[in-house]
Amino acid sequence: MTSLYLRNVPRILSQASAKQYQCLYAAQGARNFHSTASNNNTTGAIERPDTRTKCTLIPGDGVGPELLNSVIEVFRAASVPVDFETYFFSEVNPTLSAPLNDVVASISRNRVCLKGILASPDASYSGELQTLNMKLRTSLDLYANVVHVKSLPGVKTRHENIDCVIIREQTEGEYSALEHESVTGVVECLKIVTAKKSERIAKFAFDYATKNNRKKVTAVHKANIMKLGDGLFLRSCEEIAKLYPKIEFEKMIVDNCTMQMVSKPQQFDVMVMPNLYGNIVDNIGSGLVGGAGVVSGASYSADTVVFEPGARHTFSEAVGKNVANPTAMLLCSAKLLNHINLGAYGSMIRNSVDQVLKDAKVRTKDIGGQASTQEFTRAIIANLKPIN
Amino acid sequence: MAARIFMKRPLELGKTFRKASTNLSAFEIQHKSPLVKKQQKIPVALYGGRHAVTMLPGSGIGPELMAYVRDVFRYAGAPVDFETININPNTDESDDLIHAITSIKRNGVAIKGNIETKSEDTEVQSRNVAIRNELDLFINVLNCKSYPGVKCRQSNIDIVIIRQNTEGEYAMLEHESVHGVVESMKIVTQSNSERVARWAFEYAKRHGRKKVTIVHKANIMKLSDGLFLETSRRIAKEYPEIEHNDMIIDNCCMQLVSNPHQFDVMIMTNLYGSIVSNVICGLIGGAGLLSGRNYGDHYAVFEPGTRNTGTAIAGKNIANPIAMLNASVDMLEHLGHQQHADMIQQAIVKTICEDNIQTPDLGGHHSSSDVVQRVIDHIVHSDRTW
Repeated sequence: MTSLYLRNVPRILSQASAKQYQCLYAAQGARNFHSTASNNNTTGAIERPDTRTKCTLIPGDGVGPELLNSVIEVFRAASVPVDFETYFFSEVNPTLSAPLNDVVASISRNRVCLKGILASPDASYSGELQTLNMKLRTSLDLYANVVHVKSLPGVKTRHENIDCVIIREQTEGEYSALEHESVTGVVECLKIVTAKKSERIAKFAFDYATKNNRKKVTAVHKANIMKLGDGLFLRSCEEIAKLYPKIEFEKMIVDNCTMQMVSKPQQFDVMVMPNLYGNIVDNIGSGLVGGAGVVSGASYSADTVVFEPGARHTFSEAVGKNVANPTAMLLCSAKLLNHINLGAYGSMIRNSVDQVLKDAKVRTKDIGGQASTQEFTRAIIANLKPIN
Repeated sequence: MAARIFMKRPLELGKTFRKASTNLSAFEIQHKSPLVKKQQKIPVALYGGRHAVTMLPGSGIGPELMAYVRDVFRYAGAPVDFETININPNTDESDDLIHAITSIKRNGVAIKGNIETKSEDTEVQSRNVAIRNELDLFINVLNCKSYPGVKCRQSNIDIVIIRQNTEGEYAMLEHESVHGVVESMKIVTQSNSERVARWAFEYAKRHGRKKVTIVHKANIMKLSDGLFLETSRRIAKEYPEIEHNDMIIDNCCMQLVSNPHQFDVMIMTNLYGSIVSNVICGLIGGAGLLSGRNYGDHYAVFEPGTRNTGTAIAGKNIANPIAMLNASVDMLEHLGHQQHADMIQQAIVKTICEDNIQTPDLGGHHSSSDVVQRVIDHIVHSDRTW
């Protein structure tokens, strides 16, 4: 392992410095996820070894620490100018967990965070209804979750050419943590929908579509049953859609949507939906393109972004077995680099992941291979090529 | 004029009237009843610390200048994503224009070049004016500050021109009552004058300015400019710490070219603002240096200070990119990215004042891309402490 680094580091360093200026002009593929300036067809790249960016790192539960270790190794090999501020944060391991306030302060200071998945136990130890994940999201106001479901080269799945973006409101709706038992045996669980947050998420979806040259936005709802709650969400989406005459707007009921997702997923472009539906559709989407190990996601507030895998599974049964797939986490890190104006590094990692998957020689068990996490990471490092 | 239109297109005129009476656009309401407009609040386009900004390149040298802005932003790492909208100057259709205006409403902020309106049809409005009116951008601010390294007639000038931007002579209400007699209306309202005056005095207070000069022609236009003057004087009483005086526009122009250092902040109505800003731009180095800012209650649009298209020098790589770069610096400041703004600003000053890399309009012999390249070099080598 170490010898591989030693072989790679000087090569990458020398190439990177020689091509530094060309890198800056590097053109990017038209639909690269969240490239900083996709409307301009240019990367937002600036390579300055002396200006390093700080980023909060939350390894999370289950295989999270192993996956993030893989990211750190790749960053080191590519000499990415990012420093991590690591916090162990966990709900199932409360004694070791960093306080919520410290983590929130760090993320709001750094503006970016790379995060593994936090396990949410079924039973609450403290009697609180809010999970740690929900607390983190509400304190940072991370209202928009974006999962880009895209077929990966060389990963065999039932459907091909899927390219849709699932945008989920994640600060209200069913996840309000407002439950009570008024009479024994009768539990009421409140679903909160507000016009302000619905308009905000709808506008986020349309702005996302505008920025990434997408053509259509589908609002997913269940307004035929929840006429007031989902009705408000749907009306807010319709209002905002009027401001975007160049983007097609479409409505779909959530049950039909899930069926369409598994039968004809290519019809979807950008989808926007309330909290719980988003959770379900995210998982369907991830299942369609290769599972929880290959889909990346991001949560946005006005000021901060938290990059995390798209389908939230800790894969705790695989802890220490060296079999987890780091693809999702690596794609997250590539998106993170694009977001902080290090697009050249982001594309470098992304291309390497694409290349390794396409070659299909080194792949982890979940997508039909035999390789370990470590072998996969090494293959990614060996395929890092500076862009020109 | 009405008779002329009627003779030219008797059928279409009726249609227009019907359309106007049934379905008035927000613009028509604004320009037929010049009142303060109520804008609907739309969530800000700020996601994960990155702003979305509408970019209207316009025509002439606009597109090339915008390309420079994008280049510079890329190297500066400014967290801004542009939504570019091109408006075709050759059609009479207003689809593009409406799209551009909705886009600014969505994003809240725009950077624009000068948009050409080629049509001479009386029904087609000037698109620049339409954008300002529709978004209720009632303030235009031009910060005229000399660059020490630029050779020009006057040095050490530091004047802020604040101009009413939505009414006055630009009301676009003209008609030919009798053949050969055209009447053009100048609209001055108390509410708009008050907003402008208050904005100007608040600006002076915030930026530690000492004096506000009210520019008018109330000796001739006793009612309209009289109202503007009277309102401004009334507001001035609320700010006793700031000195104020008034000056007639013709005298003002003479004073500007002979002794410009007596001025600090100036407020004026629309047409005078257009003239005075061009006079001062000429004094300190021409159209290619200064940037202007347009503000309403909800939106802000940034553009080069003098609104010239520069069609003659388009594509020749000699247009001065500084004005548009300054506009982009203003935009970054408005969005709260002060550090990026300062970095670009310092790079610009170093380029034209210390390195003397200037385009022909400032007396230099460098091309636009030379200037931009030097600005980028300075940005790449500047210290980033944040």
